[in-house]
Amino acid sequence: MTDIHLPTSTDRPETAIARQDAMTSLQLHQIQKSYGAYHALRGIDLDVEQGEFIVMVGPSGCGKSTLLKTIAGLETISSGQILINGRDVSNTEPGERGIAMVFQSYALYPHMTVAENMGFGLRMAHRPKAEIDAAVLRAAKILRITDQLDKRPKQLSGGQRQRVAIGRAITRSPDVFLFDEPLSNLDAALRTQMRVELSGLHAKLGATMIYVTHDQVEAMTMASRIVVLNHGSIEQVGSPLELYRNPANLFVAGFLGAPRMNFFEVTVDSVSGRSATVSAAGLAPLSIELADGASVQKGDTLTMGVRPENLSVATDPAAATFAGQVRLVEHLGRETILYIDAGPLQCVSSESGNGTVTVQIGHVTAISADAAIGLSIDPRDVYLFSSGEAQTISTRKSILAD
Amino acid sequence: MYPRPIPETAIWQRRLYVAVVIGILIVWLGPLFAVVLTSFRSMQDVMGGNLWGWPTQFGLIENYTAVFTQTPMAQYFLNSLIITIPSVIGVLILSTLSGFVLSRYRFPGNMLVFALFVGGNFLPHQIMMIPVRDLMVRLGLYDTTMALIIFHVAFQTGFATLFMRNFIAALPDELFQAARAEGATPFQTLVHVVIPLVRPALAALAILLFTFIWNDYFWAVVLTISDSVKPVTAGLANLRGEWVSAWNLISAGTIVVAVPPVIMFFLMQKHFIAGLTMGAVKG
Amino acid sequence: MKTLWRHHRWWLTPTLLIMPAAILFSVVILASSVESLWISLHEWDGFGPMRWIGLDNYRELFNDPQFYVSLKNNVIWLVMFMLAPPLGLAIALLVNQKIRGMRFLKSLFFIPLVLASVAVGVVFSWVYTPQFGLLAIIFRFFGATAPAVLSDEHFVTFAVVTAALWPQTAFCMVLYLAGLNNLSEDLIGAGRVDGAKGWNMLRHIVLPQLTQVTFIAIAVTVVGALRSFDIISVMTSGGPFGSSSVLAYQMFEQSIFSYRFGYGAAIASVLFVIMAVFIVWYLSRIIRAEERGA
Repeated sequence: MTDIHLPTSTDRPETAIARQDAMTSLQLHQIQKSYGAYHALRGIDLDVEQGEFIVMVGPSGCGKSTLLKTIAGLETISSGQILINGRDVSNTEPGERGIAMVFQSYALYPHMTVAENMGFGLRMAHRPKAEIDAAVLRAAKILRITDQLDKRPKQLSGGQRQRVAIGRAITRSPDVFLFDEPLSNLDAALRTQMRVELSGLHAKLGATMIYVTHDQVEAMTMASRIVVLNHGSIEQVGSPLELYRNPANLFVAGFLGAPRMNFFEVTVDSVSGRSATVSAAGLAPLSIELADGASVQKGDTLTMGVRPENLSVATDPAAATFAGQVRLVEHLGRETILYIDAGPLQCVSSESGNGTVTVQIGHVTAISADAAIGLSIDPRDVYLFSSGEAQTISTRKSILAD
Repeated sequence: MYPRPIPETAIWQRRLYVAVVIGILIVWLGPLFAVVLTSFRSMQDVMGGNLWGWPTQFGLIENYTAVFTQTPMAQYFLNSLIITIPSVIGVLILSTLSGFVLSRYRFPGNMLVFALFVGGNFLPHQIMMIPVRDLMVRLGLYDTTMALIIFHVAFQTGFATLFMRNFIAALPDELFQAARAEGATPFQTLVHVVIPLVRPALAALAILLFTFIWNDYFWAVVLTISDSVKPVTAGLANLRGEWVSAWNLISAGTIVVAVPPVIMFFLMQKHFIAGLTMGAVKG
Repeated sequence: MKTLWRHHRWWLTPTLLIMPAAILFSVVILASSVESLWISLHEWDGFGPMRWIGLDNYRELFNDPQFYVSLKNNVIWLVMFMLAPPLGLAIALLVNQKIRGMRFLKSLFFIPLVLASVAVGVVFSWVYTPQFGLLAIIFRFFGATAPAVLSDEHFVTFAVVTAALWPQTAFCMVLYLAGLNNLSEDLIGAGRVDGAKGWNMLRHIVLPQLTQVTFIAIAVTVVGALRSFDIISVMTSGGPFGSSSVLAYQMFEQSIFSYRFGYGAAIASVLFVIMAVFIVWYLSRIIRAEERGA
C-alpha cells in the first residue's frame, strides 16, 4: 500500500485562525435544535480528540442523525456552538467546514463516473485538474477501486458503491469524516467485511471520524468512544467496554447488549454499610455492593439488572437464586438462549416481551423446553438502578476486574 | 395485470382479440381516415360529389402542392415553427430554474408561489385575454410572433414549473446534501447535478409543450391578424372560410396542421406518455 | 462586493433563479386576470378611455338571454364530458393486453389527443357535412337521411361536444393506461385467490387503486369542458344564432367582434368564478397531499 499523505487542514487558509487546542478536533457546546415545539437536540456537549472514532448510537428518533447533520452544516442549530479544529463553524456552509460525509444511500451522482463522483468536491472548488486526478487516484488506491474509476454507479455492486462514497470523502481530505449509517443498506456478510475495512481505514488515515448507527455491533467493534443518545440528549459517553460494564443508567444498560439485560423489580430488605440486601417474590435475597454516594433505604423499590450471560444454570437446585420452567430453547450453535418462566419473578420489558427471563449459555445444552431448572446469580454481576432517576447505584466494576 | 392476460398458448383467441381491437380502432379513427382519404381526391371528384366511391383520378400531389402554393400555408407553417420552438426553449429554461428553487428551498410563501403557478395554469384563457391583448398593443408587439412567444412562455411556465418541481422533488434528498457537503454552490448544484438528472423530464416536457403551443388557436386569433404572423391553426380556420366546399384542399391543410405533433408523438411516444401521466399515478 | 455575494448567495441565488419565471407569470397571467375583473366594471371599446359603470355589465349580462344559452351549453359540455373518463377507461382495458402488435395499436388510439383542436373541428365538420359526410353515409346505409346537425339548434351543441369528446377520451385513456400499469400485482393476485372476477375485480380491487388517476382524469376533463372554445369557433362560430355558444365563445365574440371589452370582461369574470370554485377544490386537494408527503 502506498504511503498516505493526508493534507492537513492548513491547506485551507481560513482554518489558520485561532487554534485553541490542536488536539481537539471537534467541539460541540450546548447544541440545541428544535422544530417548533419539538426539541430534537437538547444541549449536546462533546469534545472529540484528533483521530478518535466516535460512534453515536440510540433508538430511532433519538437525534443521532440530526446531530450528525448539524455538524455537517446540513441542518442549522437553534443555539450552541460547533468548533472544528478550534474554528467556530456554527454558521459556516457545509462545504467550508472541513468535513466530508458518507450517506446511508451513498448519494452518488448517477450521471457521473466513479472518478467524477470522487473529484466533484474539488472540481467545485476550482482546483487544478492534476490535483483532482491525483487526489482521486490516491483515494481509489486506498480503497482498491482503481479499476472502477471509469464506471457509473449503476454498474457497481452495493459494496463497491459504498467504497466510492467513502473514496469521495477521502478525496476531500477533511478534518472530520461523518458517516450516516453507511452500512445499513448492505447485506449481513458485506456489512461485516466493510466494518473491518472501515476500522482498518481509520487506523491507516488516523483521521477523526464520527459515525452514526443503530447497530450496536458496529458501535461495539469500531468505536474508540461510543456516544449513547436518547430523546435528544447524551445518556453516556465512553469506550465500548466501559459502557457495557458500567452503564450509567437504565437506558444505556438496556440499550447495549444482545440479548437485552434482564430487569426485575426488587425491594431493599436491609442496608448495612456499603451494601444492600435486595429480594423479590421468587428471588432469594442478594447482597449487593453500593456505589459511593448512593443512598438507599430499607423498603426502597429498585430495578435490578442482570445480563443474560451472567445467569448460570445451578447444578444444585438448593443453591439457586431463583427457579423456573423453560419455555423455549434457541440453539444458536455456539451458544444457547433459554427463556425461563420464573413464576412470580417477572422480567420487566423483557427480550421476549412476555416477562420471561433470558439466559445465555455459552455452549450446547441438553436442557429442553418444559424442564424445571434453578438459576444462580453472582451478586457482583448485578446492577441496581434507582427507580426514580434510573441511575446506576450499584458499584461500578472496573473494566479489568472479572 | 388487469384485465387477465389472454394466455400465449391460446393463439386463435389472441388473433381474434387483435382483430376485434383493430375493428374498434377503425371506428375510432374513422373520422380521421375520412379526412386523409379526402385529401387524396381530385377536385373534379369532390365537386362532382364522388366522395366515397373509387376516385376517377388521384389528387394527392396536386392537393398538397396546391395547399402550399395557392394558399399561405407554407408561411403559416413557418410562423408556427418560429413561434413554437423559441417558446418551448424559453419555458424549459424558466421552469427548470423555478422548479429547482420551489422543490429544494424552503422559504415562507413557497407553497403560495407554487399554488399560484398551478392555479394560474387552470384559469380560463378568456379571463386574461383583454389585458394581454392590450399589453401587447401597448408594447407594440400586437400582431407579431413575439407577442405569441411571450404569452406562451408565460402561460406554459405555470404547468412546466409544476412538472419540473415535482420531478426535482422526487430526486433523492441525499444527492443534494452530498453536493452541499462538498461545497457546491446552489448554482453549481443546478448545473452539475440537477440539469444532468432532469434530462428525461426535459424531453417529456419539451414534446408536451411543443404539442400545446403548436395546437394553440385561441391566442393565435387574439394576438395576430396578418398572414405573415399567423400560425397554422389560425391559418387552417381561414382556409375553411375561403375554400368552403373544396374538401380535398381543406383536408390536405388539416393533415399539414396535424402532422408535426403526430410525428413528434410517434418519435417520442415514451416521453410524451410519461410527461402526460406524471403525477397521475403518483401516490 | 465579492464577500457580500459569498455571504448572501445562499438565498440570493434561489431568489434570482425564480425571478424570471415569477415575474413573467405574475405580470402576464396573474395580473392580467385580476385586471379583467377591474375592466368588467367599465364600459370600454378597447381603444378609447374606460368609463366606470359599476356593476352595469353584470346587470346587463344577467338579463341577456344569450348568457343563459351559453351557460346552459357550458353545463351540457360539463355533463357530456364526464363520459370521457369511463370511455377512456374502457378503451384502456381493451388494449391493456400484451399481444404482439398491441403496442402499435395502442399508440394509434392516442392520435386524437395530439391533433390540434382546430384540426379535430375540421375533421368533424367534414363528418357532419350533409349528403357527403361520414354521418350522412352511415344514415344512408340504414336508409335514413342524416339531419344537418351543425345547422340545427337542437343538435348542434351535442354534435360539437361529441367531436370534443374524441381527444378528451384519448387523454383519459392515456391516464388510465398508466394507472393500470401501476396496479399492485399482489392485490390483483389476492383478489384472484379470493375469487374476484370481471366486474367484481374491477369494482372492488382495480378501481380503488385508480382513485388518484380518476381524480386527475376528472380534473382535466372539467378544465377541458370549461375551456371549450377552439372547436366551437371552427365548427359553428357559436351558431346557428348563438345556439352552440358557450361563455368562453360569447366573451370572445363580444370583445373582438363587437368591441365591448367591458362586457366581455364581465362574461370572462363569471367563467372565472365558475372555474375558481373548481381550482380551489383542486388546489386544496393537491396541497393537502403535498403536505402529507412533506
